Amino acid sequence: MRDDWLRADRLPHIYCAGCGNGTIMNCVLEAVDQLGWNMDETVFVSGIGCSSRAPGYIRTDSLHTTHGRALAFATGVKMANPSLHVLVFTGDGDLSAIGGNHFIHACRRNIDLTVVCMNNYIYGMTGGQGSPTTPIGKTSTTTPYGAAEMPFDLAELAVAAGANYVARWTSYHVTELTKAVVAGIQTPGFSFIEVRCQCPTSYGRRNKYRQPGDFITYLRESAVLKDRWDRSSAGEELPSEKFLIGEFVRRSRPAMGVPDEA
Amino acid sequence: MKLDIDESRCKGCNLCTMVCPYRIYQPGTAPNRRGIYVPHLDQPERCPNARLQQIYGRRLCGVCALICPDQAIRWEKEKPYEPHNVVIEY
Ligand SMILES: Cc1ncc(C[n+]2csc(CCOP(=O)(O)OP(=O)(O)O)c2C)c(N)n1
Ligand code: SF4
Ligand code: SF4
Ligand code: SF4
Ligand SMILES: [Mg+2]
Repeated sequence: MRDDWLRADRLPHIYCAGCGNGTIMNCVLEAVDQLGWNMDETVFVSGIGCSSRAPGYIRTDSLHTTHGRALAFATGVKMANPSLHVLVFTGDGDLSAIGGNHFIHACRRNIDLTVVCMNNYIYGMTGGQGSPTTPIGKTSTTTPYGAAEMPFDLAELAVAAGANYVARWTSYHVTELTKAVVAGIQTPGFSFIEVRCQCPTSYGRRNKYRQPGDFITYLRESAVLKDRWDRSSAGEELPSEKFLIGEFVRRSRPAMGVPDEA
Repeated sequence: MKLDIDESRCKGCNLCTMVCPYRIYQPGTAPNRRGIYVPHLDQPERCPNARLQQIYGRRLCGVCALICPDQAIRWEKEKPYEPHNVVIEY
């Protein structure tokens, strides 16, 4: 049962009502539970941010590290003992702003980690500053007139940097997300799963999705299935307010830290 | 099995009301002791997981519990039916 993985005495967690991070935690725990992982051989690693608090609610050993450095610590754990299962929780700021260089190099090295990024488009924990994924025109405390910079597409970035498994879902697509985490874990090498999720408190409040339900509706309506788009679009550009969801890549490039080879 | 919301965990976000195909969850109408509008369950015995989980030996559907950000939804084992002796006092 996935509830066995939770530290019941630490719940309810500190996340705001309707925050997508809790949903993503459920899906990840459901995936590791389905795979029958042993708690003693599993390590959850995170950096700093609302998203990065997730391992604190899970019963296995965990490392809550410094901002942006989750992947550096996770690399150390995995290379020291490749037989461990190492799963990283990170945020869009943690992974792609302060930790951006660790991210592309972990993809390039293809270290056998599974990384789940809770992309809520902003720095949630510190009050809603813009992040490298804030979409153009959207409001945050540091982009009061609307963000003007082109955001990162984290999934495309991971594909380009060499990760063996890359998928993107949202906190609405719970079943698909759970399957993607299972597939990511089963693929040797670096597995990256981006999850677009709601932060009703900071991002939602400033962008007309104050209610968690409105935010989930927005995510559901903006998401376009990648397979369907690839078949029907004939090379057109995706409208800027939409994003693709689905599996982006699954391949077997040489990897590091895979138990059999180490 | 009996479907139940743990009131000590629920934060009243109403995401469960959006996903249940049977519309079992209805937005709460009165705040509880903690000021939270916990959803109300409309005939929860209709939930296929409540009815069939033990027969199939696995969780069925379960999307409400997966999406619930606060891990508040659960199915509890019901006590087997016990006939009660009714004592009538005159
Ligand atoms: C070295 C360092 N710089 C800055 C901070 C302040 N800080 C804490 S969390 C955070 C951003 C977190 O954003 P994200 O990773 O997207 O997580 P979220 O809270 O949105 O889930 C920042 C800048 C810090 N803790 N350490
Ligand atoms: S501030 Fe946003 S990301 Fe952080 S717990 Fe609240 S809703 Fe979630
Ligand atoms: S999804 Fe969970 S926390 Fe939200 S209202 Fe339903 S039971 Fe409560
Ligand atoms: S398991 Fe499915 S049918 Fe049952 S209450 Fe949850 S969402 Fe509704
Ligand atoms: Mg963030």
